[in-house]
Amino acid sequence: MEGVVRDGASDRASGLGPRASASKQTLWHRLMRRLRPPRRLSFTREGRWLTFLALAIGVAAINTGNNLLYLILAWLLSFIIASGVLSEVTMRALAVTRRPPPQVFAGQPFLMEIAVENQKAGLASFSIEIEDLLDGRPLDKKCYFLKIPPGRTQRTSYRHTFARRGLYRFDGFRVATRFPFTLFRKSKDVEMASEVLVFPRVISVTRPPPAPRARGAGPSHRLGRRGEFFGLREWKEGDDRRGIHWRSTARTGRLMVREHEDELERQVTIAVDNSLPQRVIRALAAGERLREDAPLADAVERTISHAASLATAYLEAGWAVGLAARGARLPLGVGRAHLTRLLRELALLPVVTDETPVAELDPRHDRILCVPAEFGASGRPGADHVIHC
Amino acid sequence: MRFAQAHKVSSYLTVGSAYLALVSGGGVSPLIALLGMFGLIGSWFWEPPRVRVERWSWAFTALSLAALAWGVVSGVATGDYLGEGAGFLIVLTVARAFTRRAAKDWQQLYLLAFLMLVAGSVLNGDLVYGLCFLAFVVSTTWTLILFHLRREMEDNFLLKHADPRASERVEVRRILESRRIVDRRFFVGTGLVSLGVFVLATLMFLSIPRVGVGFLFRGKGGLNMVGFSDGVKLGGHGRLKHDATVVMRVQVSDPRLRGRNAPYIYWRGAALDFYKKGEWTRGKKSPETRSHIEYTGPNRQRHYLLGDGGQLNAEEMQSRRSHAVRQEIWLDPLGSDVLFGASQPVAFEMDMPLRRGRQAQWRNDEVRVPHDGSLHYTVWSEVEMPGAIDPEVLRAAEADNLPRHYDEAYLQVPPEITKRTRDKALEITAGAVTNYDKVVRLRDWLQSNMSYTLDLHDSGGQEPIHHFLFERQAGHCEYFASALAIMARVVGVPTRNAIGFLGGEWNEYDKYFAVRAGDAHSWTEVWFPGQGWVTFDATPPGEVDRLGRGDSGWRASFGRWLDTLRFQWSKWVIDYDFYQQLELFRGVGKRFKGGARSLRGGWNTIERWVIRRWPWLVGGAALLVAGVGLWWWQRRRRRMPGMDVRAPRTRERSELAMLYERASRRLARRGHRRDPSVTPRELARDLAERKVAGAAELAELTELYYAAAWGGLATDDMLARARTLVTTLDEVREPPLPHPRRGRSRTA
Repeated sequence: MEGVVRDGASDRASGLGPRASASKQTLWHRLMRRLRPPRRLSFTREGRWLTFLALAIGVAAINTGNNLLYLILAWLLSFIIASGVLSEVTMRALAVTRRPPPQVFAGQPFLMEIAVENQKAGLASFSIEIEDLLDGRPLDKKCYFLKIPPGRTQRTSYRHTFARRGLYRFDGFRVATRFPFTLFRKSKDVEMASEVLVFPRVISVTRPPPAPRARGAGPSHRLGRRGEFFGLREWKEGDDRRGIHWRSTARTGRLMVREHEDELERQVTIAVDNSLPQRVIRALAAGERLREDAPLADAVERTISHAASLATAYLEAGWAVGLAARGARLPLGVGRAHLTRLLRELALLPVVTDETPVAELDPRHDRILCVPAEFGASGRPGADHVIHC
Repeated sequence: MRFAQAHKVSSYLTVGSAYLALVSGGGVSPLIALLGMFGLIGSWFWEPPRVRVERWSWAFTALSLAALAWGVVSGVATGDYLGEGAGFLIVLTVARAFTRRAAKDWQQLYLLAFLMLVAGSVLNGDLVYGLCFLAFVVSTTWTLILFHLRREMEDNFLLKHADPRASERVEVRRILESRRIVDRRFFVGTGLVSLGVFVLATLMFLSIPRVGVGFLFRGKGGLNMVGFSDGVKLGGHGRLKHDATVVMRVQVSDPRLRGRNAPYIYWRGAALDFYKKGEWTRGKKSPETRSHIEYTGPNRQRHYLLGDGGQLNAEEMQSRRSHAVRQEIWLDPLGSDVLFGASQPVAFEMDMPLRRGRQAQWRNDEVRVPHDGSLHYTVWSEVEMPGAIDPEVLRAAEADNLPRHYDEAYLQVPPEITKRTRDKALEITAGAVTNYDKVVRLRDWLQSNMSYTLDLHDSGGQEPIHHFLFERQAGHCEYFASALAIMARVVGVPTRNAIGFLGGEWNEYDKYFAVRAGDAHSWTEVWFPGQGWVTFDATPPGEVDRLGRGDSGWRASFGRWLDTLRFQWSKWVIDYDFYQQLELFRGVGKRFKGGARSLRGGWNTIERWVIRRWPWLVGGAALLVAGVGLWWWQRRRRRMPGMDVRAPRTRERSELAMLYERASRRLARRGHRRDPSVTPRELARDLAERKVAGAAELAELTELYYAAAWGGLATDDMLARARTLVTTLDEVREPPLPHPRRGRSRTA
């Protein structure tokens, strides 16, 4: 989960979709949020009926002077007041938290766990609905809690799928209830900002055949678990715990791991062309809806997705994978931690114009260039394989 | 209590209380009321799986249609649209109770119950309605909360998200059978809520301004009661009954007139002057009631009865009231628009109806106000205390100074009065000089020679007074009053026949007289110049009031306590009006003012006390602030992340979860240990794929465990099933398998 979900403000703009929404968090939005009434109240069908009946009984009571009708009217009105008070009581002192899964991929459903703690000392909360707020709007999914006993926490989860990669900002929750009489739906927004990084969609891809010159041509710099002992270094996150050299660790007081020279020379750099024409970038920044240029934007997303899929495939096969793109570069690396770093880089990879070139690729490694099929941009490096997505 | 059972019980309480509120008023045909009751009781048992409800829905639709047709025809024929409509409502409710299936059927049942309650407010003004209303308020709070939860459950419950396969609904039936959702605390809590709703409704009821405008129609306020008839007709046969139904309640201001031993008061209502063929009516020539009107509110008037006197100024009006006995009267509907007051009323204060189309002319010092329902008004009366009027004053009154029309109205003797009656009157009064002496002689003669009976006897075509005086020589109060009035007229004394009530039962709980229908009485009023109309009662004393002040036994005492409740209900609900509301608010305002005054006094005392001891108080306050601050700081510190020093809450484990754990341990011993990353369902599926013995039992147990641990369900049936499954798993014999991971490393 580390590096994927962070509470607090975003430190970086996200990809195509999320970036547009993130840029909308303007002063106006913040002001509107401040001015928002603390509770929202909407009539249900039963509530409309009851209000109509109360009006009709009121008219009949005034007209006839029948005190029993006044009594019924008074009961209906106090019923409405009691409904408001009880719904307020049931919504009070609820702490809501969310727990997303460790990794979220675009186009893949995931389960978001929602936990509600009833912090009231002696009163249960009934019939609570929780909706996640994404960019100020509730998601189409909601979680329902029938009864939350006092001092207890209940959990449930909803299934959701993000269509695009990027950084998604959850503002908080909409806590709502129709308790106790289904007359009104009362809701309040609870602020609890957190972000979910959605990795590019990973699909099943076939790795291109290795370039002929890479096979055994150069010296081996690939470090793996097998092969010749290379040396010791300090343990860092993502390293296999089985490689810990306990004697050195005991001596130095720091976790040390063994490094081996890999038996196979398996290194690849995946380059991504993340460029779009200036007008498309401007339109995306302005939040406009793309029409003719929509295929271009989709092609870039496909390209990034393909690069992520390739990187995953290579890393799973034990290769060292590096990443190059316009305005971004990640050196060669192996292991799960590196895959996460790589996917994160791709998730947050912005689209730029082709004025920013892709960094030159090291000819000693395999080089794969992923480019959008619809867009012929300049500044692309040479590669062993060019994949049009 | 199981959820479904709780919902059903509370729903039936709601419908039942509304049904009782409607039928207990008597506005619905007894047959329909009885059938409705049996129908509602029968519908309790009419539900799946006992009956396939949908099969019979056509029958209840046909029944509803037939009831509608019958209601329309019967309504047109009898004109009682309200009663027929109420009957149709009952049939609809019963039909819906029999065909209830889904949430919307329950909803319609509640709506029908509400309509029954509204219809009951028109047809039933009795205390029983109030009790049913209280039951309705309490049960509706429960019902609607339970109904809300049930519907939300049916709409939302419960999506399983525990694995990647598509979400599916948990069977709602199992949740409806759960005992964990509504427990005793739930009922106590919602009971308190409904009590709060009732208190709030009461406050609102008292506060909503009473501004009746009647722009469409005035409702029928209640049902007419029996006991008093606006006229006197002698003759007929049968037996009069002592009806103890309370028709009027009176609070009297004068302490001499209150209590069980207080003198009996004549509650005068109508006065009749024209006698013909045994019937007393108001003649066309009878003088109109003259009154001076003082307006005390937008729709409220105070009428001062002038008799044959002149107009009054403000001082005289005040004087009249201050010398009179004030009475607050709550009058139930009697089928007459006449108002009652003690002895000789001098002023009436009441709300006047906005539309006066039906208002009758006021004659013979009567005051009449049309009212369909009960009425609350105030009367000031000059009450004749026994022996208060000096006979010499009455003897001295000038007999021949009659006001205009008085001779035509109050000296009228119909020609059918027999010569024997006339001669008898002359014979009795022979030698008497003054009108007073003549009337006293006649009264005494009647009391001495006639006897009192409640048995009516047909006069066989004879003039009724003649028959009473010379044939039967017995009769009830109307005979005595009529005979005195006519015989006095024969000898030239102006009289009229007054009708109303005498006495009443003293209610020791709320200090009022409960005047019953059986207290109806008739007496004679005799006019004396300068003194006005004076009451003479020819009915033998001791025979007049059989009902008396009421028994003192526990049963009568309980009856009076019930009547107090009825009176309070009538006073504060049925007859509660704008002026009562004003008085209430004034009273509350005075209480507040009084409270504020005493608070100010208390504050001054505290101020002096504080000034004397300020150094000690400052020190104490500083210590208190420091203590509270410390407590707050520690509390805040505890709440900071990572600073919670409280013991972690141990999760309660249900019996089902423990059974699952037992099965897991058993499986682990057999080599099927569940890794922490493997969910119970995945393990079950894995074992099933590998065709391990007991996999099917484990799969079923896993589902039960999920339902208990995450769905909050653990019924007795489920527990029993889980125990069986665990026992079966325990008995499965299988050679221990190598651990999968260990196995793989060996082959490697």
